[in-house]
Amino acid sequence: MAYSEKVIDHYENPRNVGKMNAEDPDVGTGMVGAPACGDVMRLQIKVNEQGVIEDAKFKTYGCGSAIASSSLATEWMKGKTLDEAESIKNTQLAEELALPPVKIHCSVLAEDAIKAAVRDYKQKKGLL
Amino acid sequence: MGSPCHFALFELQPAFRLDLNQLSARYRELAKAVHPDRFADASEREQRLALEQSAGLNEAYQTLKSAPRRALYLLALRGRELPLEVTVQDPEFLLQQMRWREELEDLQDSADLAGVAVFKQRLKRAQGELEDDFAACWDDSARRDEAERLVRRMQFLDKLAHEVRDLEERLDD
Repeated sequence: MAYSEKVIDHYENPRNVGKMNAEDPDVGTGMVGAPACGDVMRLQIKVNEQGVIEDAKFKTYGCGSAIASSSLATEWMKGKTLDEAESIKNTQLAEELALPPVKIHCSVLAEDAIKAAVRDYKQKKGLL
Repeated sequence: MGSPCHFALFELQPAFRLDLNQLSARYRELAKAVHPDRFADASEREQRLALEQSAGLNEAYQTLKSAPRRALYLLALRGRELPLEVTVQDPEFLLQQMRWREELEDLQDSADLAGVAVFKQRLKRAQGELEDDFAACWDDSARRDEAERLVRRMQFLDKLAHEVRDLEERLDD
């Protein structure tokens, strides 16, 4: 199966790969996995006092589509408020990356990682 | 009509604990009986039937042979068909998976075959523990959530084991 150019670009030059201190009160961590393909994805956000996501990092063990989906997700989250970030849909990620139907679940995983990271941050701040 | 249960095909009772040697011996016997070569002179209908049986037998064998696939199949037999594509949030386990994958990456970078062997032993132990836990709870309807979590973990470790094997082959070359 051929990957789209955008997937290849994110796969070869992933944006924002890295790790933040999960203990930092301003950091939210989302950890999700897809058992059928064995993918594991960690997505982290650092949120400033205005509730804006200043920085986002990810680390994904998985296929090219999973890496590209999480890489794109971190790009899109930066500069957004938590509510804006939470409204990112997997369909938008899949469309931007031109994912084929069999790889849609990779974008679902990324959306779930975004939501998990936001929820973790909100829990830390007592916002839930 | 639906096809017979995979276990029945091998004259076995549904169980997670299986004698894999017995299973493969039984498979070879049955596979011989329906092998397409034996039907070269048979009617077209018989040939097609043999082909279908052969494919069904193979599917059943592949399912029962693999611990996570067998576990998923057992849960489905008990009326709990689990979706194939699902997002798991099992933080502690996933965190450990992340660490193990980082380790495996380091072993790959340093081409450390001895390290890979140690890694593989640990992975095998973890798989064995998961299988013991699953065997103890899958048929207890009160512990279904636990059984589901365990089978998901088994799937992750199965994939990881494949990657370890691939890495070994690459390092061996």
